[in-house]
Amino acid sequence: MSRLFTRIRIIGFFFALMGALILFQMVRIQTNVNAQKMSESIEEQYGTIVRTIYPERGNIYDRWGHLLAGNKDVYEIGIALNEVENPDTLATVLSSVLELNYGEVYEKANLEYIEGVQSYIVVADFVSADKVNELSALYEQYEKDRAKAKGNQTVQSLRGLHYVGHLQRSYPENSLASNILGFYNYKDREGATGFYGVEEKYNDLLAGNPVKITLPRDPTLIEDVPNVPPGSSLVLTIDREIQAMAERKIDEAVENTGAQSGTAIIMDPNNGEILAMAVTPRMNPNEYWDYGNVFTDNTPFNRALSETYEPGSVFKVLTMAAALDSGTVTPDTSFVDTGSIYVGGYYIYNWDRGAWGPQDMTGCMQHSLNVCLSWIATEMGPTKFYSYMQAFGIGRRTNIDLAGEQIWPLSLPGDKDWYEVNLATNSFGQGVATTPIQMAMAISAVANNQGIMYAPHVLQAYIQDGKQYNTPPVAVGAPISAETAKTLSEMLAVSLESESSVALVPGYRLAGKTGTGEIPSAGGYETDLTNTSFVGWGPVDDPKFLVYIWLEKPTSDRWGSTVAAPVFSDIVKELVALLNLPPDETRKQLSGQ
Amino acid sequence: MTHLFTQAYQQAPWRLQIQRIGGFLVALVAVVIVAGVYLSISAQTATAGLEIQTLERERESLNRMIADRRAKLAELTSAGVMSQRAAELGFVRPDMSTAIYMVIPGYQGRQPVMIAPPPTSDNLPSPIIKQSYRQSLWEWFFEGVLGSGTGGY
Repeated sequence: MSRLFTRIRIIGFFFALMGALILFQMVRIQTNVNAQKMSESIEEQYGTIVRTIYPERGNIYDRWGHLLAGNKDVYEIGIALNEVENPDTLATVLSSVLELNYGEVYEKANLEYIEGVQSYIVVADFVSADKVNELSALYEQYEKDRAKAKGNQTVQSLRGLHYVGHLQRSYPENSLASNILGFYNYKDREGATGFYGVEEKYNDLLAGNPVKITLPRDPTLIEDVPNVPPGSSLVLTIDREIQAMAERKIDEAVENTGAQSGTAIIMDPNNGEILAMAVTPRMNPNEYWDYGNVFTDNTPFNRALSETYEPGSVFKVLTMAAALDSGTVTPDTSFVDTGSIYVGGYYIYNWDRGAWGPQDMTGCMQHSLNVCLSWIATEMGPTKFYSYMQAFGIGRRTNIDLAGEQIWPLSLPGDKDWYEVNLATNSFGQGVATTPIQMAMAISAVANNQGIMYAPHVLQAYIQDGKQYNTPPVAVGAPISAETAKTLSEMLAVSLESESSVALVPGYRLAGKTGTGEIPSAGGYETDLTNTSFVGWGPVDDPKFLVYIWLEKPTSDRWGSTVAAPVFSDIVKELVALLNLPPDETRKQLSGQ
Repeated sequence: MTHLFTQAYQQAPWRLQIQRIGGFLVALVAVVIVAGVYLSISAQTATAGLEIQTLERERESLNRMIADRRAKLAELTSAGVMSQRAAELGFVRPDMSTAIYMVIPGYQGRQPVMIAPPPTSDNLPSPIIKQSYRQSLWEWFFEGVLGSGTGGY
């Protein structure tokens, strides 16, 4: 018995020793310095991954919520070199589905795998989801075929093929409003940014802030993944339907008149909101690389704010506004037009070299008499005249929220390039250069019957962190009184009606002014070609819109009254329907109810 | 006499041995149970972590899909496409000189669009991961059972 117990004790001791040795070894491995270093090294190399999360670029909507710029899902296609089984299949499929070069893909698929140096090769980017689905279906098919294959049978395989989704900028309306939107060079994935228009002006707001995060690979070390909010979205003042209509009309006008370019601005004079800004030429921002082919010979991206020109007689609106507001003249002031006036050593003539005899101020505007307006300017004197012009913002930026605004400085008395005759020529829009948006802003102070200029803008609201923040209109000046504005509006409405102008629209009382600006050249002014303009607004008693038209160097005719005025009428006929504006009589009946 | 009492009430050696072995086994089983629970919790944590990572990737994919669908919808309802479809259906642009304005009682026209709600008082977001999911067994034991009861919710 005691021998049995001894043997049991020996066996027990042996097992206990084994257990103790195992325990000892476990403790030794855990506490060994080299093991700890290896563990730390592995933790450092493979314990975490660093990711940069790029937020989704903000969307751009029109005022009614139509998407003008968004993002679409595309894929980067790559090959993990250590997983490739059949490079021939990869090359064949990718060349067939993605229309890539077979040889190039085959060469890439055959590259040697070198850990940390050459492990993953990109073969295509910006591939649509449809193509990726096609590849995915083929992958699945080949995997099924592999399962059925016997022994050493060669099978087709797409193993090694990977696709990573990301977003690409998309403009669903193609070229519509492209001069306002600008474009985003999405193909440069690391350094893409906005160019021109809203994309450039609000690039920081749209882009959001990329966030670099360190994520543990150990799934037990759960950490909050920071929420990276998308870039802010923008709601523009642009009305898609009005923009489409304006672009159609201006394209037709350019074609019919043989003009070099056309510009149409439609704005609400009561708050500066731009409802439409149609310019030629235009490009499709989805193919932004075509920019150089569309905008040749230094053509600006958006003439409405980037190209200055001598506007001609539309400028008389500002001269007359200044004269009325300063009390230099009244609507009934009489002027005897003799056909010329001598100012600063030069004779100024009317557009037809004719003498129009006795005229009141409405008549001067109706017949667009350079002599009369020159006289008015001289009566005001240069100090008062240029003070008003500066108050109207001439020679200064409007600071419209679009990239690329240009100006031409206003020459003032005392400047090297100012001469006494400038007082006369400036009064009818020659010798002074403005952009269409500058003219629209200045004249809006007359059009809105308030005498207040509002900053022209295209941003109505922005959406940040899921909340919509509206941007209020900003008044930038009050160059004239409300009474002056109403008086001049009435004068210009009467002059338009008296002229039986082609700018008139039945049922709506409108005010406006034509402009025919001569184009400066090396030897003075060009004789054959002009810049034709028209500015109009209405309804006169309750204005809802201001439309500015500029057709550059038309060949069909040289006069604003025959070239630009009909375009204004064409646009307004559809504009009143799109704005749901009833005819004046109906409107008054409705408001009287 | 004392010797006789000790002899009467002392447990048999084999009983003592069994008691010691039994005690050791109970302790061993308790340790194994604790280890088992710990491993089970760790496994569940790892599984949950992997699920979260998968769901994060899925969320990213869904966000991209939402953006893509929005863009596709906008393409299908773009001005150009709608004009073309209208033309194919036989619609023509009206001659605006013949258009008649009709007053429809109660019709207020298009209303301004709010794509997102206006800013209001913000609700503070609750943490995604509850504190109780971050506690180890020891923390739970000492705080939740023995102590202040301030841990977790």
